[in-house]
Amino acid sequence: MSAVRRVPATALGLATLCALAACTPGEPPSPADALRADTVALTRGEQLFTGVCAGYCHGLSPGPRDAPYLFDCTWVHGDRDADLFRNIADGVPETPMIAFGGQLPEGDEDIWRLVAYIRSAGPENC
Amino acid sequence: MRIWIAISIAGLLAACEPPRQQAAGPAPAPAEDVEIPAGPQPTHWTSDGNIGNGGGPVTEADLLAGAADPEKWLHYAGDYDSLRHSPVDDIHRGNVAQLQVVWAFPTGTRHQFEVSPTVYDGVMYVSSSDNRLFALDAVTGELFWRYDHPQPDDLRLCCGRVNRGVGISGDTVLMATLDAKLLAFHRLTGELLWETTLANYAHGFSATSMPMIVKDMAIIGIAGGEFGVRGFFDAYDVETGERRWRHYTVPAEGEPGVETWAGDSWKTGGAPAWTSGAYDVDRDILYWTTGNPAPDWNGDLRAGDNLYSNSLLAVDPDTGERLWHFQFTPHDVWDYDGNTHLFLTDVERGGETIPAILQPNRNGFFYILDRTDGTFLHATQYVEELNWATMGEDGRPIVNPLAKPAEQPDYRVCPSNLGGMNGAWAGAMNPDLGLVYVPSVEGCQLYQKGIVVFVQGQQFTGGSPITLDVDEGKAHGNVVAVDKNTGEVRWRYVDEHPMMAGALSTAGGLVFTGNQSGHALALDAETGEVLWRFRMGGGVRSQPVAYRVRGRSYVAIGSGNHTGFSRYAGGPTNLPEGGHLFVFALPE
Repeated sequence: MSAVRRVPATALGLATLCALAACTPGEPPSPADALRADTVALTRGEQLFTGVCAGYCHGLSPGPRDAPYLFDCTWVHGDRDADLFRNIADGVPETPMIAFGGQLPEGDEDIWRLVAYIRSAGPENC
Repeated sequence: MRIWIAISIAGLLAACEPPRQQAAGPAPAPAEDVEIPAGPQPTHWTSDGNIGNGGGPVTEADLLAGAADPEKWLHYAGDYDSLRHSPVDDIHRGNVAQLQVVWAFPTGTRHQFEVSPTVYDGVMYVSSSDNRLFALDAVTGELFWRYDHPQPDDLRLCCGRVNRGVGISGDTVLMATLDAKLLAFHRLTGELLWETTLANYAHGFSATSMPMIVKDMAIIGIAGGEFGVRGFFDAYDVETGERRWRHYTVPAEGEPGVETWAGDSWKTGGAPAWTSGAYDVDRDILYWTTGNPAPDWNGDLRAGDNLYSNSLLAVDPDTGERLWHFQFTPHDVWDYDGNTHLFLTDVERGGETIPAILQPNRNGFFYILDRTDGTFLHATQYVEELNWATMGEDGRPIVNPLAKPAEQPDYRVCPSNLGGMNGAWAGAMNPDLGLVYVPSVEGCQLYQKGIVVFVQGQQFTGGSPITLDVDEGKAHGNVVAVDKNTGEVRWRYVDEHPMMAGALSTAGGLVFTGNQSGHALALDAETGEVLWRFRMGGGVRSQPVAYRVRGRSYVAIGSGNHTGFSRYAGGPTNLPEGGHLFVFALPE
């Protein structure tokens, strides 16, 4: 699967400018890089995470739970932005994590906002 | 006579043989000196049926008598009045300190061990997390038969892989499952008699409570309030598994109450019926309760009272038709499920004796209602802190607007979304003292509102609690003794962690329960003083029972919590998981 799916138009240019330093050589820039500096996108990412992902699953507070806590730099199913995008879009087989691809109101853009929020709300340099 | 004795001895010897194993799928017959290939593990071990003390099938008279005969514990709460009060009186204040373990049994499972054991004919039926079911000798703990329910990998559960016990009627033992099935077993052999599917688990349905036997029916409700299911509870013919009726807890288009849901929000309205009920035998009224409307923490798209969420429903047990209802928390946005323990008892108010139904609700109020028609009589606060509402004279809470979930919440709301009390554990009542015993969580939270998205089979919460008091080390627990007539708090036992095990009252003047530090406890029913404490190890989430066999009295309590859930509530995170049942008795 491609590491980057449909990308918000505004994100691509900003990502190219802002995020090259954070990229592993040879990897395409992550659309989430630009969204990390976009407060509107981050707010929507937070509201999506709170309403859809937190609850009794990933939670807003640290601690052991069946679904991984996502703000402690521990990545169970891949640590790149593209991995997070894939896990959200396609789900994680043999777990209750179902596919959200095509399910969120603004499609893949909402998934990238989630990725950006998850990355930005945790400790730096995860 | 000699022949009879010979047959009996042969039967007894046969009963001592290991239970027969049945594999989940085809398994090769093992032979000596042959490498046994890896294959499906056995999931079902039956018995030859020569167990028990010859008590015969469980009759309707047995079920009506409830716990009056201490050799039987047939209902989740001991009897249809749902008091969880045992007549066992030879374990009492004066000797309870001498209780000792007489046997113990492991479940081999993680997660919360929430069972209320069922005892009949010298056999104890114990279900564990993950729907294991064990038939054990109630005196020795010997395993007679066992069933491990194969579970799908993708169960849809909000709050643990739990089960709270099995119903019994005739020669049938009934267990509800996490993948939303109802299974019937022969009580003596453990053979599967029938199974039926309640709903599609992949859509968010599950079943965790003890099926309640009323007449010749097993009543079972569904969980799934966090998944936007349309809640219901059903009645099934115990003999055949045929469904007699279904009561949807959210009205459909054209039905009374649908006007309390904005737009089509009733279609994903929740209102699960995930606990057992109570039954007024004389009036032939079945009482059942419902949980939160969905989504839990954002009510913007479901404006209205959201009937019949968070309600007490009185229904005709023969038809499932609703007679009346009382809604505890209209338009809930805190997850204050109305599924907590019900008590049927008479109360004295204003010089009158009133047939009442009592409930310590998850929202922190203790309710006293007329059980003939649902008239609100009185409500009091039983938790230490309550600020989400004050109580109106008509029983409708007056909501504190500051307590509603916000996108950037900063108002500490009490109680937490766990309660107060919670339907995952039982209370108890001592009818002689007129006291109701309520194990409770004492903690407060912030409630953060988010964007609502419904995806079938995915959690549909619209927000999330922030475990403020847990994070600050403030959450703790109570057992609260409440006067059944006035609702006033008589005493509190205060524990450093939330109290999340069930309670048992006994005629010996005791209240048995357990705490999250891993102790079984016996409290003085009049004062709350701790009279006995035994370290079982794991956090206690089970519902204690007492029973007697051949003149000796026993108390059974299970230990074992889920680390994640313990942390969420404010319990320890360093205790290992694993269910373990302990049975106590006085020295012989």
